Amino acid sequence: MPLITRLFIKSGLIFFFISLLIGIAAQIQSLYFPAIIPLFWHTLMVGWITQIIMGVSMWMFPGRKKEESFQNQKWGWITYVFLNTGLALRVIVEPFVNVSGPEFWKMLLVISAVFQFVAVCSYVIEIWPRVMSPKQRIKKKRAAS
Amino acid sequence: MTIISRLMIRLSLVYLLIGLSIGVLLLINKAWLISPLLWFLLPIHIEFMIFGWIIQFTLGVAYWILPRVLETKGRGNVKLAWLMLASVNTGIILVTISGYFPGNNFGFAGRILETLAVLLFIALHWKRVVTYNRS
Repeated sequence: MPLITRLFIKSGLIFFFISLLIGIAAQIQSLYFPAIIPLFWHTLMVGWITQIIMGVSMWMFPGRKKEESFQNQKWGWITYVFLNTGLALRVIVEPFVNVSGPEFWKMLLVISAVFQFVAVCSYVIEIWPRVMSPKQRIKKKRAAS
Repeated sequence: MTIISRLMIRLSLVYLLIGLSIGVLLLINKAWLISPLLWFLLPIHIEFMIFGWIIQFTLGVAYWILPRVLETKGRGNVKLAWLMLASVNTGIILVTISGYFPGNNFGFAGRILETLAVLLFIALHWKRVVTYNRS
């Protein structure tokens, strides 16, 4: 399993645990904080499920270059860094954001949104050409050799 | 990867891009209020991300990657697989538009189609959940 996939899965497991902690907090009145419900759902659906889908598909889909280098996996690395930074930033910042609040937190929330957008775009760039039939795969292999 | 899996995976990537773009807009709208009307897009964001992206992607990959039917070495009835693809996507679109046209049954019809797709998925894959190890 390539390093990037291991990182995706392990980061996903951490977000999975965080999402459940947030879920527990949401059930306890004294631990409740603003934006807790969207944070629960997004750490679960983006941090865990989407992240594990991305990591495993980068490993298992056809057309993966065996040699692990940044050049060969650049879209994967961009996805990993921006997705995790973007989501972590959201978890930290969103409870402090409200319409009349300081501009600093709002700016960070916008940055987290943009980071997640960049992550998903780079994932699509990486995986779209790898969704191929066996014939296309053979053709691509022949062209590469 | 079969044509059905390829289509389902690519459609799921399209849903991911659209659903995420709406999510990004909503998050920015939380920080800098663009328009309160943007919140009307929330049901599209949820439907596209859960059914369009996560569920459709996993169905498409499972159709490709699970062991083939032992007797025929294929993936079962192809027409049923096409019906599964069509019904899950029609269902997603119907559920998505249902909130914007009050007093119709689009939401109900959409969920029925999504359920049909899941039933077809189960029917197509039940016999494929096997081991090749006969010992």
